[in-house]
Amino acid sequence: MNEKELIERAKNGDKSALAKLVKEQEKTIYNFAFKICRNPEQAENIMQETFLSMVKSLHQFDGNSKLTTWLYRIVTNHCLMAYRKKKNQFLSFDDEEIAAEHNISNDWSAIPSNVIENNELKDILDKAISKLAPYYRIVFILRDVNGYSTEETGKITNLSVPAVKSRLHRARAFLRNEINEAFKK
Amino acid sequence: MNPQKVTCKEVTDHICKSLGEDLDSPRCLAIKEHLNSCPDCQNYFTSIEKTIDFYKKYNLELPKESHDKLMDLLNLTDE
Repeated sequence: MNEKELIERAKNGDKSALAKLVKEQEKTIYNFAFKICRNPEQAENIMQETFLSMVKSLHQFDGNSKLTTWLYRIVTNHCLMAYRKKKNQFLSFDDEEIAAEHNISNDWSAIPSNVIENNELKDILDKAISKLAPYYRIVFILRDVNGYSTEETGKITNLSVPAVKSRLHRARAFLRNEINEAFKK
Repeated sequence: MNPQKVTCKEVTDHICKSLGEDLDSPRCLAIKEHLNSCPDCQNYFTSIEKTIDFYKKYNLELPKESHDKLMDLLNLTDE
């Protein structure tokens, strides 16, 4: 059964179809939330809020975009709401406690060496990204990492195309400066 | 501006402004050519590419408890 059929069935109250949709999307949404808020507990809460919103509003989903795109819009809103509520609880990957709890350094070692050649570079990149404000991080991840077009990123974030471009430009310029500074040390 | 003569600063500025757009413009072609011969720009470009690659590939497994909690919350069951 394809996504469209599952959505139609879920809209008509088919719980098994809804469960399939949730299972297909949960990891994507959890990881997106984690990359933005950098806190596993918050990522889990945001994921829950996102799917509660999905269930509540699924009847409004018109099918003109992919379900994932629509969910990105919802999860982005929940990430920003969470950020506004708990500004000081958005943590970095380099938080030692979280890294230890989730074996982040071990996960890194599983990444092929041609992706990240050494830990120093990993630290530099990660610290640079952790300093980006969430809105910039969201645009950077949607546009550069997830490969959405400028227009799609605008629709997901509710930003105009010039605003997406400007945030992306500033995010990249910020990353460039941070990386350059780190290499100078 | 002569598109065939590009400095490192222009390359980095341009990449920051419009990477992924107008890839076939004369300016972008000149930039690509420059990138092939400038180690500094290559390093910078590679670092951004790696940042993006890292973010693409760095995914956590969703803990089973988190999945179970979500299904409970939505009143759904695994089949």
